[in-house]
Amino acid sequence: MKSIRNIQAKLPLELVFWFSASVGVMFIEPHTAHHFTICPLSLAGIEWCPGCGLGRSMKLFALGEFRESFQMHPMGAFAWAVIPYRMFEIIKQLKSRLNYG
Amino acid sequence: MANVLKHLPELEGMELGYIQGILKNMDDEQAGLFAQVYRARRKDSQMVLILALLGFFGFAGLHRFVLGQIGLGILYFFTLGLCWIGTIVDLVNYKSLAYEYNIKVAHETLSMMSYTTDNFSNNDDNKTNEA
Repeated sequence: MKSIRNIQAKLPLELVFWFSASVGVMFIEPHTAHHFTICPLSLAGIEWCPGCGLGRSMKLFALGEFRESFQMHPMGAFAWAVIPYRMFEIIKQLKSRLNYG
Repeated sequence: MANVLKHLPELEGMELGYIQGILKNMDDEQAGLFAQVYRARRKDSQMVLILALLGFFGFAGLHRFVLGQIGLGILYFFTLGLCWIGTIVDLVNYKSLAYEYNIKVAHETLSMMSYTTDNFSNNDDNKTNEA
């Protein structure tokens, strides 16, 4: 039990989430029509949501197609600014969190 | 040696242990001051949970704003919590989000206290006049 807790403390869920999200975004094929989705709204049959296209926008931005990226979703570049910063913050806190008290 | 249960009985879990580690070097008076300031500034994990739940009703990311993560708050708000996925992750993760913020606040409080106790005798009169 203690070892499981240690691993959990060393690998915060949020860091795992952001990291896997960033890696997952890089595997998106932005120009194909439809693909397997886990989006709950899309599965419920609703076509549009404010977050639609964010992943494709991030991938296009990473490929250097900035105009297409902005057209797909205006926040793609913003997400690339905010999410790596958050990952950096979590990693920075890891050390101080574990070694006190 | 102050006891955390006497000064901050509402704490739980990891936070309780962490704050006890801070308080163990203080006497009761210092711990009382620390508890007063810390209690006023910390965020309850239940509030983070409730604000994160609002993400299901179109107000995603309010918990991120409250925790001082403005950039992620904006991103969540305008993308419906990353299509609900980010909201769901934060619902699982709300305790460590609050814990992270509260530890930051605890260290802020500590550094403020060391400032005030060092300069207490010199600045006491000035401070009361300014206030």
